[in-house]
Amino acid sequence: MQDTITSLINPADEKGLYLEGSALDTLQQYFKTGALRVKAASQIGESADSIISTTVEKSLLYGDITLPGGNMYPTRRYAACLRDLAYFLRYATYAMLAADASILDERILNGLKDTYSSLGVPIEPTIQAVQAMKEVVTQRVGSEAGQEMSVYLDHIVSGLS
Amino acid sequence: MSIVAKVIAQSDRADRFLGSTELTQLQDFFNNSDVRISASQKLAANQQRIVEKGSQQFWNQCPDTPSNRGVKQKTALCQRDQGWYIRLVSYCVLAGNSKPLEDIGLDGMRDMYVSLNVPLSNLRMAMRCLKQAAMGLLSSEEAALAGPYFDQLIRSF
Repeated sequence: MQDTITSLINPADEKGLYLEGSALDTLQQYFKTGALRVKAASQIGESADSIISTTVEKSLLYGDITLPGGNMYPTRRYAACLRDLAYFLRYATYAMLAADASILDERILNGLKDTYSSLGVPIEPTIQAVQAMKEVVTQRVGSEAGQEMSVYLDHIVSGLS
Repeated sequence: MSIVAKVIAQSDRADRFLGSTELTQLQDFFNNSDVRISASQKLAANQQRIVEKGSQQFWNQCPDTPSNRGVKQKTALCQRDQGWYIRLVSYCVLAGNSKPLEDIGLDGMRDMYVSLNVPLSNLRMAMRCLKQAAMGLLSSEEAALAGPYFDQLIRSF
């Protein structure tokens, strides 16, 4: 996986350069947000289960998708949906910490759309759930860290669209 | 790879969020980021000086070595490599992790110098002198961050 630091060091090394100028500025900006990112990752990790339940309640629970014939019925598929949302949350958190989306692409998004269409998982409700997750996460971590998380949750949305 | 990437990969392998030890590690890493930046800038600005000073020291201790036999090209090459190692140490300081040094400068290093007929024990001495010269320019906080990477470099020869 890439992270912001590595993605700045590698091209500098290709040219035999120290980190300087705009690359160093970018790194400095990232360092400045480090404490915020670590705190948010800690809060999200501690309350992941409750973030997922609230997300489902806000987006999927009261719709047709949980009824017979829906893709969250029976319970086995409900549980699979919870598991996938938990993956989204965890990998978005990793990406937010790294300030780099590559781990999301590598571990979640590559091939996801095809997998979902072959399993008959509807994309539209999935996207609604991720949108709801953005709100729930922002409530838990505050607006500044929430915005950072939204960057990577939006990345999931665009990967599914 | 940086310390951030490292703890993420570690958590990913275990299918979990970051644990409290990992979160603390990252917190500590971000807390002294100013020192990381200033150490790396000093190493960058003084690379030439560190190499000159380190080489002088090294040749005093070990006069009969390929870089001190009057072949300008060899001397330049040796000093160029020392400069590179300073740069790799600066990457490590910024990344909070020794991977940049290992991946870029240590993997295969022995084979390379053996094939170039450069005695590893001499290089070890040269790197020790390089460390000394670098440490002399850094504050104690900066030296505490950069020192271990120089030590790893010395050990690997």
